[in-house]
Amino acid sequence: MTPPREPLDAVMAFLEPAFRRVDALEGDATIAGECAAHVTGNSRLTPAEQVDIYRRQYWLRHVDALADDYPGVAYLLGEEGFDAFLRAYLLAHPPRHKSLRDLGADVVAFSQGHAFPAALRAVTLEMIAYEHAFIDLFDGAEPPPLDPQKLTSMPEDAWERARIVIHPLLVRRQVRFAVHRLRLQAKSSDVAPLAAPPSEAPANLVLFRDDNQIRFEELDGTAFALLDALARGEALGPACEEVAATLDAEAADQLGAQVGPWFQQWTARRWIVDVVV
Amino acid sequence: MTSKKTPARLGLPDLGVGVGMRIPHYEDLLDHPEPARMDWLEIISENFMLGGGLPRYNLGRALSRYPLVQHGVSLSIGETAPLDYEYLGKLKALLRETKSPWVSDHLCWTGAHGVNLHDLLPLPYTEEAVKHVAARAREVQDFLGVRLILENVSSYLTYTSSAMKEWEFLTAIAEEADVGLLLDCNNIYVSSFNHGFDPREFVDGVPHARVVQIHLAGHTNYGKYIIDTHSAPVIDPVWDLYRQAIQRCGPVSTLVEWDDDIPPFAELCAEAEKARVIRDEVARDAAA
Repeated sequence: MTPPREPLDAVMAFLEPAFRRVDALEGDATIAGECAAHVTGNSRLTPAEQVDIYRRQYWLRHVDALADDYPGVAYLLGEEGFDAFLRAYLLAHPPRHKSLRDLGADVVAFSQGHAFPAALRAVTLEMIAYEHAFIDLFDGAEPPPLDPQKLTSMPEDAWERARIVIHPLLVRRQVRFAVHRLRLQAKSSDVAPLAAPPSEAPANLVLFRDDNQIRFEELDGTAFALLDALARGEALGPACEEVAATLDAEAADQLGAQVGPWFQQWTARRWIVDVVV
Repeated sequence: MTSKKTPARLGLPDLGVGVGMRIPHYEDLLDHPEPARMDWLEIISENFMLGGGLPRYNLGRALSRYPLVQHGVSLSIGETAPLDYEYLGKLKALLRETKSPWVSDHLCWTGAHGVNLHDLLPLPYTEEAVKHVAARAREVQDFLGVRLILENVSSYLTYTSSAMKEWEFLTAIAEEADVGLLLDCNNIYVSSFNHGFDPREFVDGVPHARVVQIHLAGHTNYGKYIIDTHSAPVIDPVWDLYRQAIQRCGPVSTLVEWDDDIPPFAELCAEAEKARVIRDEVARDAAA
C-alpha cells in the first residue's frame, strides 16, 4: 500500500513556486504567513527569511549556469540586458531537466519573442543560435570513424551515386554577423565593452569537434553549399549538380576539380564518417 | 550503536582518502606522467551521463589511473513524483563502466511538479517521509544493483511538521531501506549552526556500521546563517567532527570536496593529507 503523502505534497506544493519567486518573500505579508505555516524560522531568521535563502540561491545558480553557455550574448547585451534576458527566460521556462546542461533547451525559441534593443536584435538572435549549438557538440556521441577500406574499395563509377555521410554533430550556419569572432572576443581576458552594434559580415560557418575541442571554420559559398547538400542526404552526383546550377558557367566548370581536394580535407577533419552506395 | 548483525561499512571497502574530480585539477590528476598520490576520486555522476566528447574522454583517462566512486545530485529520492527510470537507466549504465563500489546521492528533494530546482532541499522529518523515502531508496538500490548510500544535506530551514531529529530521520530511512550513509561532517556542522543543535549528538546518533563514506568541505558563514559553498578549507570544528566520526565508525572512505573558488591542487592535497593524518591517529589510538 502506498503510504499517504499529503503533508509532503503540501510542503512541496508551497515551496516549489516560492523558491522561484522573483521578489524577496519577506516583503509580502501573505506569503510570509504561508511560510510560517510550513517553516519554523529561528531566533535569527523568520520563516520567510529562511525560505528566501533558497530563493536567492535558485536565481544565482540558474543565471550563472546559463551565463556560462552564452558568453557572446552577454558581450552583446551587456551585464544588465543579459541578466534581464536570462531572468525572463527562466520565468517563462522554469528548469525541467535533471542536468543544468539542458537548462537552455528552449532559449533559441524563447529569444525570438524577446524584446532585445532593436540595433542588436539580429546579431543577438544569431549569437544565441550559434552558442546554443556548442552544447550538443561538446558532449554528443561520436560516431564510428570512416573506414578507409571503404574508400579504397569503392569502384570509380560508384562515386556518382554515393551518399557521403556527414558527422551528425557538425553544425552548418550561414550568418550575417561574424558571431564566431565576436564570441572569441567576448571570451578573451581583456575584452572591452561593446562600443557599437557590430556591422554585418556574412560568413559560411562550420562548427565541429576535433580532438574533443570545438572549432569553427569559414567555408567559401560553393564548398558550403556542397557540404550542405551532402548533409541533407543528397548523393554526391546530384549534390554537385544542385550546386553547379547556382554557379556561372566558369565556376560550374571548376567545381569538378574542387570536389576532390574538399573531400580529402573534410575526411581528414573527420567531417565525413561514412560513404554509402 | 554499531549493530551486531551489520558489518562495518556494510561490508564495503575502505578506499582511503580521495578528492572530488574537478576540471581545474585535471592537469594534475590526469596529465602528469605519474598519478597523484590520491587513493580514489569521486565523480559527479550527472557530469558523465553523456554521449561523448571531452567529459567522456576524461572519464576514460581517470578510470585508467584511479578507483572512481559515483556521487549524484539529481536522484531526488524525496520527491513525490514517480522515480525517473530513464535517469536511473543512464546511472546504471555509467556504474557498469566505472565499477563504482557504491553509488551515493542526497537525502533530499530537488523539484516538484515537473520543475527541477537543482538544489538539495531538506525533507520534513516525519514518519510519512521515512516510509516514502525508504520505499523509493529500496527500489533504486534494487534496480541499480549496487549499494545506495544517502548523504545528509546542509539545510537552511526546518519544517513545522518535523517530528524527529535529523539523525533519527536519517537512521530510520537507512534501517528501513537497508541502505548506507554518506556522513557529511561539514553539512552536520552547517545545519547545527543554522538550527541550533549539538553536531556531536548527530555523529553519535547515526548507525555507524552503515556509514560507508564521509564528506569534508568548507562553507561560508554569513553571520545569521551558514551556506554550504564548498569554497574554503575545512574548519577546525568540522575536523573535530570528522575525528569523532572515525572514532565511532572506524576507517571509512573519506572525500574532500571543493567546488567554488577552487584552489591549486597542492592546497586540496594538503586538506586530504589532514584527513589522512586524523585517520591514522585514530587508528593508532584504537590499537594502543
